[in-house]
Amino acid sequence: MTPVLSLKSISKTYGRIQALKGVSFDVPPGSVFGILGPNGSGKTTLLGVVMDVLASSGGSYSWFGNPPSEKQRREIGTLLETPNFYHYLSAQHNLEISAAIKHKPADDIERVLKLVRLYERKDSKFQTFSLGMKQRLAIASCLIGNPSVLVFDEPTNGLDPSGIAEIRELIIELAAAGKTIILASHLLAEVEKVCTHVAILQQGELIKSGDVKSALSQEEWIELGSAEMEKLKAILDRLSGVNKIISSGNHFQVYFKSPSPDPAWLNSHCFEQGIALNYLQPRKESLESAFIELTNNVSN
Amino acid sequence: MLSVIIVCIPAFNYVIYDFTDNSFPKINGQNLLGNPFSFPNVWKTVPYNAGILLFMPAILIITLFTNEYSYRTHRQNIIDGWSRARFIYIKITEVFLLCIFVTFIAVLTCLYFGFITRTPMQPKAGWQEYRFILYFFVEMLDYSLIALFFAMLIRRSGLAMGIFFLYMIIEQFVVSLGRNKFKVTWVDYLPEEVSDRLIPQPFTRRMVSPADASLWEKHVPLYLSISVLYIVIYIFIVSWRFRKADL
Repeated sequence: MTPVLSLKSISKTYGRIQALKGVSFDVPPGSVFGILGPNGSGKTTLLGVVMDVLASSGGSYSWFGNPPSEKQRREIGTLLETPNFYHYLSAQHNLEISAAIKHKPADDIERVLKLVRLYERKDSKFQTFSLGMKQRLAIASCLIGNPSVLVFDEPTNGLDPSGIAEIRELIIELAAAGKTIILASHLLAEVEKVCTHVAILQQGELIKSGDVKSALSQEEWIELGSAEMEKLKAILDRLSGVNKIISSGNHFQVYFKSPSPDPAWLNSHCFEQGIALNYLQPRKESLESAFIELTNNVSN
Repeated sequence: MLSVIIVCIPAFNYVIYDFTDNSFPKINGQNLLGNPFSFPNVWKTVPYNAGILLFMPAILIITLFTNEYSYRTHRQNIIDGWSRARFIYIKITEVFLLCIFVTFIAVLTCLYFGFITRTPMQPKAGWQEYRFILYFFVEMLDYSLIALFFAMLIRRSGLAMGIFFLYMIIEQFVVSLGRNKFKVTWVDYLPEEVSDRLIPQPFTRRMVSPADASLWEKHVPLYLSISVLYIVIYIFIVSWRFRKADL
């Protein structure tokens, strides 16, 4: 299948600073593609290049397998960095301008304004909006004409917790409707909940890309506790396939060579050996620590 | 701002009209300066006076263009599906439309003063010197595109206006110095000066020798073509830069 977006060694320099260093990856159709990286890692620069507002210093990219053109951008709903609207015009009027540029019918505006719950404020000027409302208007603008691809750069910026949850729901709904979503974020929890694929950037370099599971291998372990810790330790030491055992107060963290055994089996095994467990918990490394580990490794 | 321009061109001309009409001794009932506001002289006088106000459309252009930068809507328009070329050509078209509109106001002003100063002895409404309207249009385009150029380069409205005025003053200074002190003629062909020269100062018309007048007449095609050349160069630079730069 032709990738929705394909990058081939994109570079970008600002004077002496190299913001992007030969970044290449493909965004498969129908994926929710997270572009991850700490602040200043080049996420927005990368999206700026593929939306033709920044001139790349090297490399090439293609949308839908074709060389870039403004016609393709009309079929992509993009929120880049900040909501950009004419401050002195109303929400409705601003969206009419976007719709006209995108060659989309203006009667779709009502639908998208209702979707982000701004319909009641459609005649208010943009400058009277709060940060969260501005962000929601920008998302509404992306959705005009029901595009098949959406590009969101930090879409939950400035939103309150319920707003963040709504946007997450929206992204999940859009993904379920078969749309391709490119999502740049430094908020891992956001990405962890919705993304199928990721690309990780650090200081302009692509560290890893691919589907979430393989790109961010998250370590798994099982925590066990008992009243008789000595005896439990002896049992665990005899177990095959154990990588390491870390003692942490009233329980052990047991790392297995993959895959980890079924906790139920572990429980009955211990019981057979004459020990009753008072604590048994399978654990998985959070995406955050996997991410920090990955980015630290590179910078060291 | 546009309405300010609409008011200012006739109003400023009225002030000058009032001044020329009432401030000089009249000899045999005739103004010392002739009748700068009656046909056909009015076609020179009004564009000349309006030419002093050309900073006004320039301010409007700088404000409109730097607004796009401060609201970052120039980026959003590209992201939403305009090509960079389309965006900048629309801006250049806006400049042309504004200049056409202001020229139209100047024509109406000319007609107004032409008619109120008409005496029975004078010829009917004369279009004899209407070519000055064209010169005015060229002069305004020249100034307006310089404004567009500074707006694009500097991006911040206050600073762009400051630089625009600074350039206006510095060029005039260089022109005065060059022409009167160093006796060089190339200063006549600087961007703003060359288009200013299309409309010579009309009030002391009677004191200009016929030799000087015909010398000016001979230079008009050169002034006009150099002004147009500047206009083409500005359009080229502005559109080239907008198509290549980071937005």
